[in-house]
Amino acid sequence: MTSGKSNVPGTRRIAIDPITRVEGHGKITLLLDQDNHIQEARLHIIEFRGFEKFIQGRPYWDVPFFVQRLCGICPVSHQLAAAKAVDQLAGVDQLTPTAEKLRHLLHFGQVLQSHALHFFHLSSPDFLFGFGGDPLRRNIAGVLDRYPEIAMQGIKLRKFGQQIIEAITGKRVHGTGTIPGGMNKPLASDRRDALLAESTDILRWSEQAVDLNAQIHTTHVEHADFATMPTNYLSLVGKNGELELYHGGLRARYPDGGLIFDQLDYCDYQQILREEVRAWSYMKFPYLLQLGEAQGWYRVGPLARVNNCDRITTPRAEAARKQFKAVSSDNLVHDTLGYHWTRMIEMLHCAESIQILLNDPEITGTDLVAEKAGRRQEGIGVIEAPRGTLFHHYQVNDEGIVTRANLIVSTTSNNQAMNESLRIVANRYLDGQEITEALLNHLEVAVRAYDPCLSCATHALGKMPLQVELVDTEGALIHRLVKNSDGRLNG
Amino acid sequence: MTDRKIRIATTSLAGCFGCHMSFLDIDEQLVQLNERIEFNRSPLTDIKHCGPSDIGLIEGGVCNADNVRVLREFRANCKILIAVGACAITGGVPAMRNYFDLRECLEEVYLHGAGVTNPQIPDDVELPLLLDKVYPIQEVVPVDYFLPGCPPPADAFLAILLPLLNGEASPQVADRRFYYD
Amino acid sequence: MTETKDMIFIDGKAIGFMEGQTIMDAALSAQVYIPHLCHYPGLTPSGNCRLCVVEADGRKVAACTTAAREGQQISNNTAELNAARKAITQMLFVEGNHICPSCEKSGNCKLQAMGYYLSMLEEHYPQFNPHRALDASHPDIFLDRGRCILCGLCVRASHDVDKKNVFAIAGRGADARLIVNTVSGKLGDSNLDVSDLAANICPVGAIMFKEHGYVTPIGERIYDRQQISDVALNEHVREERR
Repeated sequence: MTSGKSNVPGTRRIAIDPITRVEGHGKITLLLDQDNHIQEARLHIIEFRGFEKFIQGRPYWDVPFFVQRLCGICPVSHQLAAAKAVDQLAGVDQLTPTAEKLRHLLHFGQVLQSHALHFFHLSSPDFLFGFGGDPLRRNIAGVLDRYPEIAMQGIKLRKFGQQIIEAITGKRVHGTGTIPGGMNKPLASDRRDALLAESTDILRWSEQAVDLNAQIHTTHVEHADFATMPTNYLSLVGKNGELELYHGGLRARYPDGGLIFDQLDYCDYQQILREEVRAWSYMKFPYLLQLGEAQGWYRVGPLARVNNCDRITTPRAEAARKQFKAVSSDNLVHDTLGYHWTRMIEMLHCAESIQILLNDPEITGTDLVAEKAGRRQEGIGVIEAPRGTLFHHYQVNDEGIVTRANLIVSTTSNNQAMNESLRIVANRYLDGQEITEALLNHLEVAVRAYDPCLSCATHALGKMPLQVELVDTEGALIHRLVKNSDGRLNG
Repeated sequence: MTDRKIRIATTSLAGCFGCHMSFLDIDEQLVQLNERIEFNRSPLTDIKHCGPSDIGLIEGGVCNADNVRVLREFRANCKILIAVGACAITGGVPAMRNYFDLRECLEEVYLHGAGVTNPQIPDDVELPLLLDKVYPIQEVVPVDYFLPGCPPPADAFLAILLPLLNGEASPQVADRRFYYD
Repeated sequence: MTETKDMIFIDGKAIGFMEGQTIMDAALSAQVYIPHLCHYPGLTPSGNCRLCVVEADGRKVAACTTAAREGQQISNNTAELNAARKAITQMLFVEGNHICPSCEKSGNCKLQAMGYYLSMLEEHYPQFNPHRALDASHPDIFLDRGRCILCGLCVRASHDVDKKNVFAIAGRGADARLIVNTVSGKLGDSNLDVSDLAANICPVGAIMFKEHGYVTPIGERIYDRQQISDVALNEHVREERR
């Protein structure tokens, strides 16, 4: 930690810089008064990269392979979301059955590896050694030393997902694979056989990971309250309300479980979402327009998806979902640390779904590219990335060159929630206390629950409908301006 | 050769973490590697500042003042510094913003992009100042070895680390098949 | 044609040549690779990339524009020459926008393959980051000048073979740039066709077919399977047979 002067009179500043065991670059700052009461707790996203700016002027068929380099853990999320948009731009509305299944297999593989990485390699040390455990042990090497079987399961689960990605895209990280209207190569049957042979172990280890997290969450009574808060939730759902990761309609729920909207066509996303800019972070603050900015923020990701859906279509994950929901007598479970448990439930769903697809004879088919109709000038692709709903939107001129790009990245949607979680934990655990490294790690534990992908979150540009507020030093509003999705300005 | 573990520090500057993920793609070989190395500052550990280390792995180019500070901390503390991946070696994909004026980029997003008056570009003191361009790391500090790739494949990491762990002076990375993408 | 008895010596190896052949043509015919980017069998040599510089009888000359003469002693595969070739390749990389990770030519690109061949692990010199216009006005072909290495192959192919004269290099030195011979300067107003040699000869990702993108999977691209030396020798053999 670094401790020192702050710009706000009467307070001192403590910074956690960088946040570790997350993807990307962020820092947390606390302002405390003389009695160690927390005046402010903030998560700053400090990177600005500008992908949507420099993708302008590039041909549209390049886009998926640019944007996947936003992130090294979830490049496939961006490749697939962009590919869905590119399909539209190329005039393809329906892929061939094999191409569709390959894309699903690719997505399940990447969600599985990303979720495994996040629990085993990044956050398990907090639960295995305690939030205040020895900082020198509180990492994957410590888990390898002290809990080698758990570490090995994590390594193998992640490896399985990466092998699926490599089989389909040619590399484990930043491969190719998707092309406008289809895929660039079939799945070789020897690769399929090798993966299928592993899949039973993968299923078993996924179930064990669910059980481990269920046990952690239910035996530590204090975990139920840790950074817990009632929030709205947003995600895709399938056409029968089931958990859906690749393609579906948008659903949002109130904290009490009531529907804010359901089965919204994601191409209309600009009608429901706005993003607010604040001076102290390059990451914006999205909210649901119809609820306004104070009430309209929401959570995405595994907790949101499991809360939002009516059921999961694969049996073991569905049983796990029911067990998870049973921790609360309310309609929804708001436990922030429940993200870890629901993440493993989703990993189990991926494992089951992968086995089904590997057993499908069409998965090794060679009919991979659909007929293209006329080219279009707008393409929108939305997908449930491991960390939450991901929006890709591209506009293209008649030469095929990108003119505008807008990305709303999963972690951005959790921005307000992460900041609120920080405030809750700071007030509960650090307020009035002497600040120690162990206590500061509690703040990071709150942020880690969201599995933030801060590299993704800092693509940072867009021409979204935007609201900007100017506030004075007392926080009173001086001026507000909103640019609507059609470009009109309201003051 | 002492018995102590070789200390490795890693960081991602203006990178996407793909090189770190590729490193983890050594899969089960992490077990054997863990017997010979310990991590110092790394995204994978909670050590927030690079202490004296034997090897530093740097992913990502240099895009803001914080990257410069961290890179210099690594160079000062690591006996051997390895530039890992396209971004550290050439600037990589983030360096595509170099074709545009930075002011243009920021103004497009936070000023004109929304068409607002009295707009604000995030400028809180907590945000590190952006450099005019994204730079390869060797334009800021001297670098000992280069591991190309986007990302370098997992076995490339072992090919460069294992000879160093064995005390060899100059692992012949160029003898192996390597890629820029 | 009668076989000649004239010999040149490349790195000590005796190579036969025919009257009027350049050192490059003689070497490639004998399956000896001299690195090159701006040379293509059958096109008038230009000598602008300087990768093929060899030492012939103590003088450094471009192999592609220098006539083979009886008894020449030529050094080709030496440490000094290869170091110079690597430096040239590094300069070519930093001068343009050669970001392999996001380029669809990756894996099929001669500049990239040259880097691999010369064991170029990094680019050494400060990046230029030029901003050069992209021309996508043609329905089938686009021009990404950021990746142009000014080899002039498209100029020579269009003039010598296609008889169309679509391209030219304008300006000199640091201002040299690829231009299109139309009033508007746009490729869309030219008569370039996908079957033209000029549309297919670009060694890098500057002249590209539209909507082709990433159809070739990783592992099946040209330089995933072969080194540039093998590909160049095969090109020569193929053109010789025409």
